[in-house]
Amino acid sequence: MVTIIDRTLTSFDTAGMSTRDLNHFCDLLFSCGVTKIELTPDLLARLGFPSSAASLRKWLGGRSFFLTRIFPISLDSSGMTKPQPLWKLEPNDLVEKNIPVSKLKSALYPHQKIRITGLEDLMNRDYPTIFKALLGSGAQTLDLCPSNHHHCAAAIALEWLLAGGTSISCAFANHHNLAPLEEVLMSLKLHQPDAFSGDLSVLSELRGLYEKCSGQPVAKMKAIIGADIFKVESGIHVDGVLKNPHTYEPFNPQTVGNQREIVLGKHSGRKSLLYKLNDPGLSESTAHSILKQIKSRCTQLGRNLSDLELQTLASEVQNDKKIYC
Amino acid sequence: MIKKYIVDTTLRDGEQSPGIAFTVREKVTIAKSLDALGVTRIEAGTPAIGKEECRAFEKIKLACQNAQIIGWNRMNRSDISQSIACGADIIHVCVPASDLLIREKLRQSRSQVLETLSTCAAAIHTAKRELTIGLEDASRADWDFVIQLIETARDLGATTLRFSDTVGIMSPSFCKATISQIPANIDIEVHMHNDLGMAVANSIQGLRSGAKYADSTLFGIGERAGNCNLEHLLIATQGQLDFGISLDELQWRQADLKSIIYKNELLYA
Repeated sequence: MVTIIDRTLTSFDTAGMSTRDLNHFCDLLFSCGVTKIELTPDLLARLGFPSSAASLRKWLGGRSFFLTRIFPISLDSSGMTKPQPLWKLEPNDLVEKNIPVSKLKSALYPHQKIRITGLEDLMNRDYPTIFKALLGSGAQTLDLCPSNHHHCAAAIALEWLLAGGTSISCAFANHHNLAPLEEVLMSLKLHQPDAFSGDLSVLSELRGLYEKCSGQPVAKMKAIIGADIFKVESGIHVDGVLKNPHTYEPFNPQTVGNQREIVLGKHSGRKSLLYKLNDPGLSESTAHSILKQIKSRCTQLGRNLSDLELQTLASEVQNDKKIYC
Repeated sequence: MIKKYIVDTTLRDGEQSPGIAFTVREKVTIAKSLDALGVTRIEAGTPAIGKEECRAFEKIKLACQNAQIIGWNRMNRSDISQSIACGADIIHVCVPASDLLIREKLRQSRSQVLETLSTCAAAIHTAKRELTIGLEDASRADWDFVIQLIETARDLGATTLRFSDTVGIMSPSFCKATISQIPANIDIEVHMHNDLGMAVANSIQGLRSGAKYADSTLFGIGERAGNCNLEHLLIATQGQLDFGISLDELQWRQADLKSIIYKNELLYA
């Protein structure tokens, strides 16, 4: 089974984050498929371990730690009630190594627990051979934490897992320039479904919480979690999506807690307009006039029209027609 | 460094991004900047959209010194006639390649697709224009039919074959394996979408596996999660691939164009 480590909270300003939000953030990470959440020692007391926090801190010795989940066996003989998972702490004993690819081989020793960071330029190299050498190094644990400075970290992560790697570190929404967690999870779901069991429908909620706690908006067209990625405007795509959404969608929007929306803009066609107005009696010439107005306004505004704006515009055009015809 | 070429589709696929819309003047400004930057081919739009788009094409043709201007078309004689009429250097025909698109969107059969494509190609040759063919949704298509389409494209005199990962689901290894299998007797162009965040990685693998051209857009704009982001592609291939484009120059030109591309700041957030 693949180990997915999320590192978002290790470099996150959690000072303004309430204990409730912190716990909820961790809950959502586990729900979407994260195996381990990496945390810093100062977050211990805020995670519901107050009585033993001091001794735990001593046990950790100032190192970061992993939050994992265990699933207790149900004591209910009927098996009807599923026990809540429990959170468990374990020290992070991975030794981090950031070394150039050319020196990787000599830096790995058998029986070590290693996290390899960097490697942002792997896509320009013979990465299958590099992965093979890494996997044959004899390391007890080999976690890859690729940097996203070359915008290829999710691809490197996926290729690592497809090559046989069993541990990958990432962070939500490209945080700290690490492999975007949501991209790694969805890639895994699509390309190695047997190795994935998370519920990605929580990603939309996770995005909202991330934006609230970090104060950083996630780009509207961010892969997997962008708010606008399932908006469809162009006539060609609307035509396809209305016939069968699968034609122009890589996955169902609900899979990631989002929904499809037909919007009107410069590239809209008659079908989109009829769909939005839901008025079978609309004449050809009126539809043409409304579309012309929509295109002009959207080009000027640099955005789509809201439903209310569309209704107003359609009424205006229809009234003009009544007056002048 | 290995020489490769950029086909910029900011003005076509990029503009199809919801909320993004350019006036004729804005289109010309962007095209001029791309031309000055060293972009080899500019896909300037879809002339079939209407008169304004055709007017933009005519002006872009006059404004650009070096880049070839592509007119994008559905596999439709009427669309193609408009592209020819507005002076596009290259007439690109988009051919749905997957059975899903052929069946669900076109409501046709494979043989009808091949037949229509031949008719379109004949019209383009009659007008003495360069023909390029794009395989839409090729990454989800049946490989035997992809090969049949590639052979047909070559036989019909297409100079370039665009392989499109229309819904952005490819992995780099799948991309590498696929592009490597395409016969070498036609120039290959890769058109990657970013739905899994892999458009840059897939473009690199496509180029390293034999593709001559990569499609990209400014700021990576495009349908859903966008297209391959030109700036990101240049960053990722520095010192490895030579597109004849300076990263510094792209960055300042892109900054200058930001207010045109994102008239609404909320879209950029």
